[in-house]
Amino acid sequence: MKTRLFFLLLSTCLLTKAAWTQNKDNPVALAINGEVKAPTKITAAEILGMKQTPAMLKDRDGKEHTYTGVPIQDLLNKAGVTTGKQLHGENLAKYLLVKCADGYEVVFSLAELDNEFTDRQVILAHQVDGGPLPSGKGPFRLVVPGEKRPARSCFQVVEMVVRFAKD
Amino acid sequence: MKRIKVIGTMVTLVCLAAWVEQPVATPMQLQYPSYFGNRFDMPANNPLTEEGVFLGRHLFYEPRLSANGRISCASCHQQEKAFTDGLRFSLGVDGTSTPRNAMSLANLLWVRNFFWDGRTKGLEAQASIPLTDPHEMGQSPERSAQLLQRTKVYPPLFAKAFGTPVITGDLIVKAIAQFERTLISSNSKYDQYLRGEYQPGPSELNGIQLFFTNPNREKGIRGAACGHCHGGPKTFLELYHNNGLDSVPQDAGRAAITGQSFDAGRFRVATLRNIALTAPYMHDGRFDKLDAVIDHYNEHIHSSSTLSVFLQQGAEGMRGNQLGLSAAEKKDLLAFLQMLTDSTFISDQRFSDPFKNQSK
Ligand code: HEC
Ligand code: HEC
Repeated sequence: MKTRLFFLLLSTCLLTKAAWTQNKDNPVALAINGEVKAPTKITAAEILGMKQTPAMLKDRDGKEHTYTGVPIQDLLNKAGVTTGKQLHGENLAKYLLVKCADGYEVVFSLAELDNEFTDRQVILAHQVDGGPLPSGKGPFRLVVPGEKRPARSCFQVVEMVVRFAKD
Repeated sequence: MKRIKVIGTMVTLVCLAAWVEQPVATPMQLQYPSYFGNRFDMPANNPLTEEGVFLGRHLFYEPRLSANGRISCASCHQQEKAFTDGLRFSLGVDGTSTPRNAMSLANLLWVRNFFWDGRTKGLEAQASIPLTDPHEMGQSPERSAQLLQRTKVYPPLFAKAFGTPVITGDLIVKAIAQFERTLISSNSKYDQYLRGEYQPGPSELNGIQLFFTNPNREKGIRGAACGHCHGGPKTFLELYHNNGLDSVPQDAGRAAITGQSFDAGRFRVATLRNIALTAPYMHDGRFDKLDAVIDHYNEHIHSSSTLSVFLQQGAEGMRGNQLGLSAAEKKDLLAFLQMLTDSTFISDQRFSDPFKNQSK
């Protein structure tokens, strides 16, 4: 009886510790800021729970790979960015700055990412060919199909910022 | 009649106001080559002025800003060494060593996040850290302001720069930041080459080529791919990478800031401007010579789970973990790094100690 209680306590402790560590190690996977309805923080679990879409990309190894992830537009919608029907007028002068953990940054116009403008689906991927992304590229990377160089398909995306071009 | 009186009073008031108001400081324009680009922000609440920069230069060299009155920014950032101190770790007021190597101060205008781990945004915020850090200068801004207020020199210098002789910690930091923005190095042999004023020798030319080229074995293209992280003509990109110094990093680097395990052992890419003058190298000053740095990239990259993907096994052009440069190619790469020395920068009077040859 005593031992049962002990193990119960021990496992509760371990579970709490695991939850705490996970929370500490991976609190927020992606932040969306700038011209948004409200600055939004999305956890890895939330991203994995969204509708998943495949996208093809020819990597630097010269081979086609199938990536799985969430369309950028869906992520932007979570933050209330002007997509779809709202993407007209001055909103067409908005761009998305994608920031990676290593400081690398790339830019898209919002229209490039919008399914009312293009059939190409840019995704935030967490899987390649059914497996996890290699270390250094995951947990989340951008996959931009149909570009001659994969330079905008950047690794370890941590933040997206929507801005108006102001020139 | 009454109207005239009112207008008269108003005119008098305006004149009086104009007369009483401090003279406005003179806006300053920075000169830099177009290939550096304009990707920087000048804070709206701290515009660059001649008087602000002049004051900032004094403060940069002012030991009264330290707890023992003996250390200034320039103790660890010496002009003749491109604003480094030649030491592996620097000594602060309390006699302890800084945990990391003192960084070169050149072209800071284009840096957004400061320190080896990019933990501080903006030069104003950066400057207050060494001022107050007990292991560096160790004095509160209030105390520094008090001490300077008591001098003859400083109140008028602050008045000219900021329109008030009342010294505050905030204004001290603003003036230092202004001075630092003027530390532009753009007259190295490499700049002269870019301007068409200098013809590099064959070794230098090949060094330039190697530095900026990603190798491609199939096409027979030689390269050292340094530019991939160290950038274009500025030889600076604000990137954070683990460049393979250790398989188990001693210093967590960027991870201590972001809390993300994938940032372990990542440090901010450093400028290579004046690199021949800023030994020892890396965040912990582990390499005394540039040859050792090149050997590191060529032969001694340590694998780890956070090693930059651009330096990993099988990355484009990498032979295993090695670049595979020949002895001659290493020499050429070194020749290019030496081209980045800017003798004008390290002797520019505008950046020098204003107290030298002048009794305080
Ligand atoms: C005791 C030696 C010491 C003193 C004094 C000192 N520094 Fe530093 N400085 C360092 C070290 C060491 C670093 C790198 C620290 C790190 O990354 O953690 C550094 C980094 C910097 C950087 C960052 C450069 C970059 O590219 O990110 C700036 C700017 C700077 N110092 C300015 C100053 C100013 C301004 C002062 C005076 C107010 C000053 N320092 C005083 C040692 C010193
Ligand atoms: C994957 C990115 C990357 C590549 C590629 C790279 N570097 Fe670096 N380099 C860095 C980082 C990050 C640092 C700072 C590392 C640290 O101190 O921990 C650095 C530091 C240096 C330093 C020391 C700077 C200082 O002030 O102490 C030199 C010199 C240097 N690199 C030269 C080169 C040369 C030459 C090449 C090409 C052979 C090269 N680097 C390729 C990322 C890179």
